[in-house]
Amino acid sequence: MAKMSYREKFIQMNKEAKATWVVAIILIAFWWIAGFGTAGMDYTLFQMPGWFVLSCFGIWILSIVLVWFLTSKVFQDFSLEDDDTTGKE
Amino acid sequence: MQVFLVLAPVFLFLIVMLAVGFIIQKQSEKDRAVNFSKDYFIGGRSLGGFVLAMTLVATYSSGSSFVGGPGVAWLRGFGWVYLAMTQVLAAFLVMGVMGKKMAVISRKIDAVTVIDVIRVRYQSNVLANIGAVLIVAFFCGTMVAQFISGANLFAAAAGINYTLGLFIFAAVVVAFTSVGGFKAVAITDTICAIFMLVGLGVLTSAILTQGGGMSAIMATLKTQPQMLEPTSGGTIPVRLLISFWMLSGVCTLGLPQSLVRNMSYKNSRSLHQAMIYGTIVVGAMMLGMHFIGVLSRGVLSALPEGGTTDSVMPHLIVTCLSPVMAGIAIIAPLAAAISTVSSLLIAASSSIIKDVYQHSVEQSGAPVNQKTVAKFSVIATAIIGLACIVVALKPPSIIVWINMFAFGGLQTAFFWTFLLGFFWKKANTAGAFLSMVGGVFAYCYSMWAKIPLAGFHQIVVGIGLGLVLFIIGSLIGKPNDEKILKLFFPETYPEGAKIEIPERI
Repeated sequence: MAKMSYREKFIQMNKEAKATWVVAIILIAFWWIAGFGTAGMDYTLFQMPGWFVLSCFGIWILSIVLVWFLTSKVFQDFSLEDDDTTGKE
Repeated sequence: MQVFLVLAPVFLFLIVMLAVGFIIQKQSEKDRAVNFSKDYFIGGRSLGGFVLAMTLVATYSSGSSFVGGPGVAWLRGFGWVYLAMTQVLAAFLVMGVMGKKMAVISRKIDAVTVIDVIRVRYQSNVLANIGAVLIVAFFCGTMVAQFISGANLFAAAAGINYTLGLFIFAAVVVAFTSVGGFKAVAITDTICAIFMLVGLGVLTSAILTQGGGMSAIMATLKTQPQMLEPTSGGTIPVRLLISFWMLSGVCTLGLPQSLVRNMSYKNSRSLHQAMIYGTIVVGAMMLGMHFIGVLSRGVLSALPEGGTTDSVMPHLIVTCLSPVMAGIAIIAPLAAAISTVSSLLIAASSSIIKDVYQHSVEQSGAPVNQKTVAKFSVIATAIIGLACIVVALKPPSIIVWINMFAFGGLQTAFFWTFLLGFFWKKANTAGAFLSMVGGVFAYCYSMWAKIPLAGFHQIVVGIGLGLVLFIIGSLIGKPNDEKILKLFFPETYPEGAKIEIPERI
């Protein structure tokens, strides 16, 4: 667990929040491209319309992978308790 | 005998729910004697990753995810599954963006409700009270609607009348929530989520078998080509899809019933795990249930007589499954309704007891007696729940409206208030006030007056106007106190700057 001051925690939390938004934007973009982007192509996957499998099963799997990446690579483990003594009298 | 076999699993399930409530109450006696509100309304900040994920997802998934949505998917086809997948953000976004800041700050200021946080951030009792009123009103409207759909399902499955169904079903929820508090809600939510997944599995295999396998079902679907298109032959316009990315995607970050869970978990590891579990489960439920809805077109070609799309799922459960399996499957939509109601009930009660009653006692300078708060809290929770049951007996039309306003109304009220309050230093009381009042009014009015928005959902008005008003108010009004800004934005001050806990207002 990383030891951080109250201020350092906020710098880290801002970074984590930004990365979460990036993941959300990637997922939304993927959904449009995989769905509408490929709906014109007449292909099937597992007997179902290809655009459907790619966008709906795809976004689910992609969301799990990206959130795993977020929490293991970007997010840091630190104490949430008020254990910061800096600035206290 | 038939009915008994269907009912046995359902009754067993309801008994387990009740037992959890009373066991948790027994176990929490010690913690409650010290700080009742912290234990009763937020579970003493003790949730681990798995339970946090399950309670968040189960609360978010309501009866409509298990009955209404799949019914429409039966009608519209794969396009409706596509639309439902906008909900893939609903678990990780609120935790990833807001989760840790809320956890850190609520520990620092000893907050146990979302209103506590608003009161401190914006230093305004007026804003806090408006927020509390909106939460109580919207939550109660939603609870009544969930009671109605749950009781209908239960009564249909048990072959009893609606009133009796309502009393049995709703009384169980109200009982375990009022005695067990937040921790019991979280644990029962977890059990509910597991049963929702089990029901999903049972239904999928039953419908695939009944429909004669994937190829047979697809052959039936191909006779309705619009069911294979993302816009379902133009009945799901792109503007509606954009609206749903807001309503059931991005703006779910502002739902107070999700936000409050950010103050309830144990440590940062719990949050990280919950983000992964939550994303797996919310995706599985939304994809799975709506997918089943489409597949069921291969089993059921026309609506059951006199039914709407809402009757599709109950009808399938009764016709495609053996009695015991039907009993297990019917638990899924009941569990979805129960887990939503219990969470809203405890949060509505916290708004009345913690945010209004306890706050006014503190304000008058009198000491807070834990025993009195305990008694009032349990009674308040029970009374709110019972009031919703009574209203559900003969729901007035206003309830239909409130329920319709609730989801987007809560988002309009709290999305910017929380997001900007935590991430924009200039966000101030005037901005939050204008945004909350103006946004919610505009949202509800445009919905009530059915103002045409060129195919967009009214959420676009609520959130859009809410943002504009928030920015205007924040630029015109005076900034919040330096003490508050140091607490919420320490990164903008030099290291070692003194952080004070603001006095209670």
